[in-house]
Amino acid sequence: MRRYTYLWLMQLITGVLIAVLLGIHMVMQHLDKILPFFGVNLNDPTSWNSMIERSRQGIWAGIYIALLAVVLSHALNGLRNVILELTPSARTQRVVTGSTLGLGIIIFFWASYVPIALLYH
Amino acid sequence: MKIVKPQPNNLGPVGWIWAGNYKLERYLYILHRITGLGILLFLVFHLTATTFFRIQGEPVWNAAMSFLSNPLFKAGEYMVAVAFSFHMLNGFRLILQELGFLMGKPVPPIYPYSDALRRKRRWTMAMIGIIIILCLIFFYDLVLGGWQ
Repeated sequence: MRRYTYLWLMQLITGVLIAVLLGIHMVMQHLDKILPFFGVNLNDPTSWNSMIERSRQGIWAGIYIALLAVVLSHALNGLRNVILELTPSARTQRVVTGSTLGLGIIIFFWASYVPIALLYH
Repeated sequence: MKIVKPQPNNLGPVGWIWAGNYKLERYLYILHRITGLGILLFLVFHLTATTFFRIQGEPVWNAAMSFLSNPLFKAGEYMVAVAFSFHMLNGFRLILQELGFLMGKPVPPIYPYSDALRRKRRWTMAMIGIIIILCLIFFYDLVLGGWQ
């Protein structure tokens, strides 16, 4: 049981990382009408041209894949904590831990394929 | 002799949403959980849109974006921004509390007593103020963008 306490430390560290990476993402996508006031012009970040221009740069692919990894670990560990608050049996706990881990790995490989494929678009 | 049985320390699924007579911070805990699960639900839709639709090229992406730009989805996006602001700021408060930064100096036990909850309450209120400011900034951007 003691090794699972490291998951809480991981939750704190990934939380801070998400605040930075998702902060960039939210400011870029949701404050794009305010940013020209500060001299940054993104011209509609959800349009295809703007999106594909970002996708060709390795730094953005790196940011998206890093964001995906920390968000998935934080979110699925949080879901695990919510379920385990019901204090189920040790066997159920192992099943929940294993299935959240498996789900996270599947979603990571599925979704990180796209930024890598779009690098050479 | 009467045997006093201890109360079970677990309400089951009711404990996920029932906080009874507990104070503000206990309700923030419930909100933290609701916003967390809401953002996880959004993440599923978001990843679906940005993988399956994006990889199929420009026409499919533009069709998806024009479908997602109706006012209902705009309001949903704003709710995600609000949930993000709350979850981030409350998470910062929890991290600072967990690592002991908001403890303050120890004080002698003289009436009226000062307890940890009351000493940390001012940080909680500051956090709520910052959340409201962030929500207003996001709302200002939503208004500037128009409801198209």
